[in-house]
Amino acid sequence: MREENNPILPQRCMEFAERLELMAIEELDREGCAQVEAHAANCAECARMLSSYREFDRFLAGAEREEPDAAFLASCRAGLEDALDREEEKGLLRRWAEAVMPGQWLTPHPAFSAALLVAIGISIGTLVPRVMLHYGLGTTQETTQGTGGGLSSSGARGGSGITVANSAGAASESDWRTADVTGINWVSTGDNTPPRVEVQLKALRPLVVAGTVSNGNVEQVLLNILRNNQRYDPDVRLDAVELLRPRDKEADVRQALCQTVRTDRNAAVRLKALEALSGSDAQNDVRDTLLAALVGDSNPGVRIEAINTLRTMAENGQMESDPGTMAVLRERMQKDPSTYIRLQSAAAIRDLGPREKY
Amino acid sequence: MGMSVALAGDARQAAVKLAEEQALVRNSQAGDRLAFEELVRRYDREVLRLAMNLVHRSEDARDIYQESFLRVYRNLHRFRFECSFYTWLYRIVTNVALDHLRRRTSRREDQAPGTAGDGETEPGTRDFFDRQPEQRASPEQQLLGQELGQHIAGALDRLSPRERMVFELKHYQGLKLRAIGDMLGTSEETVKNSLFRATRKLRARLEAIR
Repeated sequence: MREENNPILPQRCMEFAERLELMAIEELDREGCAQVEAHAANCAECARMLSSYREFDRFLAGAEREEPDAAFLASCRAGLEDALDREEEKGLLRRWAEAVMPGQWLTPHPAFSAALLVAIGISIGTLVPRVMLHYGLGTTQETTQGTGGGLSSSGARGGSGITVANSAGAASESDWRTADVTGINWVSTGDNTPPRVEVQLKALRPLVVAGTVSNGNVEQVLLNILRNNQRYDPDVRLDAVELLRPRDKEADVRQALCQTVRTDRNAAVRLKALEALSGSDAQNDVRDTLLAALVGDSNPGVRIEAINTLRTMAENGQMESDPGTMAVLRERMQKDPSTYIRLQSAAAIRDLGPREKY
Repeated sequence: MGMSVALAGDARQAAVKLAEEQALVRNSQAGDRLAFEELVRRYDREVLRLAMNLVHRSEDARDIYQESFLRVYRNLHRFRFECSFYTWLYRIVTNVALDHLRRRTSRREDQAPGTAGDGETEPGTRDFFDRQPEQRASPEQQLLGQELGQHIAGALDRLSPRERMVFELKHYQGLKLRAIGDMLGTSEETVKNSLFRATRKLRARLEAIR
């Protein structure tokens, strides 16, 4: 680099190249100057370079320099004063805005600011839901639904009127999936029309599903209760079974009832589901569920209801005698701790037996 | 003995001046407009001179002057006396001037050749040289100085904004490389390299008229 800058300097002088330039612009300390001068005294080339640099500096210094005259300076000062006046006016507005903006007075007190923000957050978090609940439920938006599909507030199936009401308007899929049922109310009209049902759900938003059981939304909510029976109270499950009972001819309902018999933790609910199934068509799934309850249910009342239903079906010719069924009945006839069940099992074998011959 | 007394007197004067300046800055920070104007008057001639010699146009120099002091006014509350007010002020002035030079360079690149950079027709330059005759000893010297100034100004115009700034601060403002580095927010070594590069270019361009 330095070699390129000073191509005419001998190799031994390269270490002085930069110092020569620094000395010419008075950036070299006293000791450095002494060394350069000592070298230049014995090196004609470096002495010439130093002289050249100094000459160039003098050359530059000889040029005319622009100097601001008094009038121009005064004019600039006057312009600056005007600009400062305008700046002060803007500054007043800015200071006023800063005083009003909360960020400005919160910043110097971080602890106070944090506490205040937490308090505001808590207030909003507690008060707003209450206000929303108060006004939201008080002014429930009711929407009469027509026909359609899907589980949403606008997705009622069936032709009868359903009222889906919630405080925030339409319910989402996740609302339906995650909602807890807090209560089921229904009013029987006394005639043949199905009862009017109102299912109260607790989702992210309060939700009420109302209508008749024949309505798709109501039926789906009730089926959900039975399918996810571990999430709901026994009272709710009993109500759901009771309300779905008239619709036991439907495959969805029948399967949900079968599932309830097999999996519900509460014997009363299982019993109620068995009663509901007793009126349904004698499908294989119903028969298998009855047999499973007869064999496996720990509650004698459930087992009795199961054998009663099986007997009724056998008497009515709704059930075929197959080796599996007969084996279960024989096993119950011999081993069930309940005398009634053993007797009823024997009777059922008898009912099914003669047909087996033919 | 006499020299040491003179040096002590200079130091005392410098200390008084520094204390006065610090008081002015503090009062300005507290919103004293008169104190700020006093600060401006202490330095504005040097600022305007630097601006004029960098841009060679009165209006541009006025813009740099005004923008610089407005920035000082707006940001004076941030000044923490970690360096001298002079250094802090010049840091702002050099930034404003560099921005101006860069904008002008890019504008010039966008324009057709021959439409910009014609220093001889610029009113600021002409006004300045028109103002100078009474300061010159002889017409020959005056003419020589004018021509030389024009040549040097033309050569300086072809430097990069940063090289030009470093050259101006070193050769015409008489600042040390370290001080220039502080003002430009860079190292002394970088400033030195910029200066040497600028000097080499100028030497090459002005060789013919020396």
